[in-house]
Amino acid sequence: MIRLPWRESGWSAHEAAAHLLERCAFGPRPGEVDAVAARGPAEWLGGQLAGGLASPRLDRFLERAATLDLDNHAIVTTYPTLGEVRRAAVRHGVLPEDVDDDPTLYRSTLREFMRRRGQRPQRELFAETLAAKLLRVLLDENQVREVLVDFWSDHLYVSGADPRARRFVGTYERDVIRPHVLGRFGDMLRASARHPAMLLYLDTAGSSRARPNENYARELLELHTLGVEGGYTEDDVLEVARAFTGWTMLPFGEEREGVERRATGRRARTAGAVVDGDFLFRPDRHDTTAKTVLGRRLPAGRGIEDGDDVLELLSTHPSTARFVSAKLARRLVHDDPPASLIGSMARTWERTAGDLGAVTRTLLRSEEFWDRSVRAAKIKSPLELVASAVRTTGATVTRPRSLHERIARMGQPLYRYPAPTGFPDHAEAWVNAGSLLQRMKFGLDLAAGAIEGVGLDLLALNDDHEPADLRDALLHYGERLLPTRDLSGALDSLERVARDTGLVEKIDERAAQSPAPAGEAAEVGPLDGTRETSRAEPLAADADATTAPAPAALARAVGVLLGSPQFQRH
Amino acid sequence: MRRRHFLQSMAAAAAVAAWPGPWMAFARGAVRPPVLVCVFQRGAMDGLMAVQPRAEGDLPRLRPRLVLDPAHAPALGIDHRLHPALAPLRAWFDRRELAVVHGVGSPDPTRSHFEAQDFMETSTPGVKSTTSGWLARTVAALGGTPSPWRGLALTSARPRAFHGDTPTLSVADLAEFSLGDLPGAAVATRGFESLYARTTQELLHDTGHESFDALRALDPARVRAYRAAPEAAYPNTRLGLALRQMAMVVKEDVGLRVGFVESQGWDTHVNQGADQGAFARSADELARSIHAFRTDLGEHADRVVVCTMTEFGRTVHENGNAGTDHGRASCFFVLGPRVHGGRVLGELPELVRAELEAGRDLPVTTDFRAVFAALLRDHLGVSTVDTVLPGYAGGALPLFA
Repeated sequence: MIRLPWRESGWSAHEAAAHLLERCAFGPRPGEVDAVAARGPAEWLGGQLAGGLASPRLDRFLERAATLDLDNHAIVTTYPTLGEVRRAAVRHGVLPEDVDDDPTLYRSTLREFMRRRGQRPQRELFAETLAAKLLRVLLDENQVREVLVDFWSDHLYVSGADPRARRFVGTYERDVIRPHVLGRFGDMLRASARHPAMLLYLDTAGSSRARPNENYARELLELHTLGVEGGYTEDDVLEVARAFTGWTMLPFGEEREGVERRATGRRARTAGAVVDGDFLFRPDRHDTTAKTVLGRRLPAGRGIEDGDDVLELLSTHPSTARFVSAKLARRLVHDDPPASLIGSMARTWERTAGDLGAVTRTLLRSEEFWDRSVRAAKIKSPLELVASAVRTTGATVTRPRSLHERIARMGQPLYRYPAPTGFPDHAEAWVNAGSLLQRMKFGLDLAAGAIEGVGLDLLALNDDHEPADLRDALLHYGERLLPTRDLSGALDSLERVARDTGLVEKIDERAAQSPAPAGEAAEVGPLDGTRETSRAEPLAADADATTAPAPAALARAVGVLLGSPQFQRH
Repeated sequence: MRRRHFLQSMAAAAAVAAWPGPWMAFARGAVRPPVLVCVFQRGAMDGLMAVQPRAEGDLPRLRPRLVLDPAHAPALGIDHRLHPALAPLRAWFDRRELAVVHGVGSPDPTRSHFEAQDFMETSTPGVKSTTSGWLARTVAALGGTPSPWRGLALTSARPRAFHGDTPTLSVADLAEFSLGDLPGAAVATRGFESLYARTTQELLHDTGHESFDALRALDPARVRAYRAAPEAAYPNTRLGLALRQMAMVVKEDVGLRVGFVESQGWDTHVNQGADQGAFARSADELARSIHAFRTDLGEHADRVVVCTMTEFGRTVHENGNAGTDHGRASCFFVLGPRVHGGRVLGELPELVRAELEAGRDLPVTTDFRAVFAALLRDHLGVSTVDTVLPGYAGGALPLFA
C-alpha cells in the first residue's frame, strides 16, 4: 500500500481526505470526506490506484449509449461528414452534380439518403461523447483515473475543433489515453501516434517521402515529449518528420478491404508494410535514407522502425521526464510546482523508463503534495468547478448538456480547445471577469434549481434539518460544501451583507410543496439529455422535478457559497 | 515581372509612420481614446476572391469556376474588383475610409488553421511558446485606468489574442453578462463582491474586483434595450449581433480600447462558388455587419478603426471540388475615418503560375505585423510597439499616412 506523509505535515485525517478528494477526484460527495478519513486516506488511494471499482450508477447511463463501444470504422460508416454523404449521394445518383440552388431540397434529399443507409448525424455522436465525459467525471467511482484521463487527454491533445479529427476524439480517449494513464508513457505515445485522430489532426497521415509534413514532428517534440526547451533543433524536427513518413491509416470507405488485403499480402509485408487496427505503415511512402535524431543515428534502409525508435527514444528521454513530470505536478499540486518535486518525479521516470503509475505514486507520497501551502492553492478549471459543485451538493443530473454549456461559457468548451496544447492548466487562463461572473452565476443557478436537467435537494443535504437562521445555514452548508476549510472570515462577511439587506428572515418557513423524491431511478435519463429523446423518456421529461423546493434564502446562501472565491479553489 | 500596386520600402514606411497620428492631438484634448475592433475571419478567407485584380492573368484557367463576373463585381479603384457580396464596403472605399492590404500573411509558412491562427493571435509567427495574445499585450501597453472594459471579446471562448495576465472581458453575449434575474440576485451580487474583496487569493481578488467594476459600468438591461441607429441594418447573425453590441459599448464610454469578434465559414474547400455560394454567404454577412457597425457608430466613428484578419489565404487554382485549399497570402480590410483609405496596399505578383509561391499560392509580401504595427502606433498610440510585437522589426504599413 502507498504511504502518505500527511501526519508528518500536521494534517488531520479529515484534511488529508478532503485534499485527496479535491485534487485526485472531482470533489467529495456528501459524507465522503468522513468516510475516507475513517477508512484512511492511503487505503482510499490504494483502492483508486488498483482500479476496477464498480460504478453501477454510471453504468446505468452508459448502457444506453449507442456510440461508446463503436470502433473507428463503424463511426465513420454510421456518422459520416456532410462531405462524405454528399459524395456518396452523387456517386449513387441521388444528387445531381449541382444542387446548391435549392437548399431545402438538398437537405431533405441528403437526410433521406442517410436514413436509408442507417446513418446518423454527427452531432449525436458528439453529444454522447460529451455526455459520457461529464457522467464519468460525476459518477465513476474510479475518480483518480478520471482525473488522470482528463490530464493526459490535454497532454496528447486532439482537438474536436478540427473537422477531420472530430469524430475520433471519443475513441482516441478510450483507446489511447484511458488504458495507459497508470501504464507506460511510451505505450500511450505509441498508441497516439498510430490513432486516426492524431494521424489526421497533426497531418502525419498525409506525410510522404516526397512531401514530409512537419506538423506532428514538431508537436511531438515540443508538446508531447521534450518540451520547447528540451534541447532539440530545427534539424531534429525535419529528421523526425522524415522518420514518420509513410505512417498513415487504412481508408474507411469501400476501398478499405482491398487496401487492407494488399497491405497484408506477402509482397507488401516483405517490403515492410504494417497494418495495426486502422493504422497502416506504407513503405512506399517512407523516406528510407539515414536520419539523425537528437544525435542518435537511424540507419538507412529501414521502415516503421524509424518512427518506433524515435518514440522510444523520446518517451524515456531526460527532458521528457522533466517536462511531462512538471506538467503533471502543475495539474495535481501547484501552478508553479516545486523543483524538488519535479526532480524526484523525473528520477522515477528515468528509473522506470516512463512508468506513469510509479511517477504518479512519487507525486502522491511526496512531502510537496502534502505541504500545507498547496492546500486550496489551485483554481479549479471550469470542468472541475462544475463537477465539484454537482458532486458536493449531491445534485442529480439528467441532462449533462446543460452542464457542458455552463462549462463552455466559463471558457472550457470540452474537446474543443483550438490548439494542440490542450486546455491550459494555470489559474490565469481560467479567471477573467467574464468567466468569473459565469462561475458565480452557475453557483446561484445550481442552488436555485435553475439549471435544466440538474436537480438538488438542499434540505436532504443537511439531513433534512432546516437551519434556524442565516448564520446557521452558512455554517452548516459551509461545512458540507467546503469540508475542513476555514470559512470563519468569509462567513462573517457574508452574514454582514445578508443582514444589511434584510435577508435575515427565518429560513424555517416550509415551502408549500413537499419535496419530490429524488430517488436513484429518477436520475437515469437519456445519455445525451437532448430534448428530442427526452420526449421519448418519461423519466427525463420531468427531470426538473428532482429539484426539491427549498426556501429561497437557503438557495441563495448555498448559491453564494458555491460562487465564493473559496469554492473556486481546491 | 511584378505589378506593384503600392511600393514603399518598410524603412520609409516606418519613418513616415513614426509621426504621431492625428488622434494624439485628439487625445490631448482629453476626449475619448481611439478604439481598435478586430474581426477575425476563421477558416482562411480567399483574398483573391474578395478583392480580385482586374489583370486576371491565368485566373480563368487556374480557377475557371471561381472568377468573378465583371458585370456584377464592383470596381475597387482602377486595378481591382470587389466580390459582389462585399459591395456594401465599396462606399467606404470611395469615401477613402477603407483600405485593403493585399498579399498579407504570416512569414511562417504553416498551412494549419490552428497554428496560423495562433501565430496571428499571439503575433509571434513560428513561436509556439508565446502564452499571451497580442491584444492582451496591446491593452497592457495602453495602460490607463485598469478597467476590464479596455479589452472586450464578444466570442464564446476567450480568444487566444486575449490570453494573458491583462484583465479583459470575454463574453459571448453581453445581454447575459450578469448574475441573472433570479430573485435576490442583487443581494447575491453584494455578497459576492464582499467575499471577493476579502479573499487573499490575488487573482480571484483582482478579477472579482474587475467583474463587479464591469457590472457597475454596464447594466445588461441597457444592452437589451439598446437601439442601433435606424439606418444601421445588422444581419441577424452571430457576427451581426456581436458588432451591434460592440457599437453599443463604444458609445457607452466604458473605456473600450480593443474589441474582438469572429466571422466564420471561410474554409471553402468545397463548392466555394463565385457570385453566389459558400464564399458569398460569408462575405455577405461580413460586409453587412461591418457596414452596419460603421453606420451605427455615427459621431463615434472618428476614433474607431475596424481591421479584418484571417490566418492565411487559399490556393490560386481551384481544386477538384470547385473549392480552394490552404494557401499563403490573403487580404485584410482596414476601415475608419482616419484611415488613409481608397487604396489597395501591398503587392501581388502577376497571376501566372510561374509567379506564384510553389506554383500555387499568393506569396506573402506584407507581414501581417506591418498592419498590426500601424494600428498600434498610428491609431492606438502605443509607443512601445516592440513589447506588443516582440521580435518584429519590420516597420509599420503607412495605413494612416
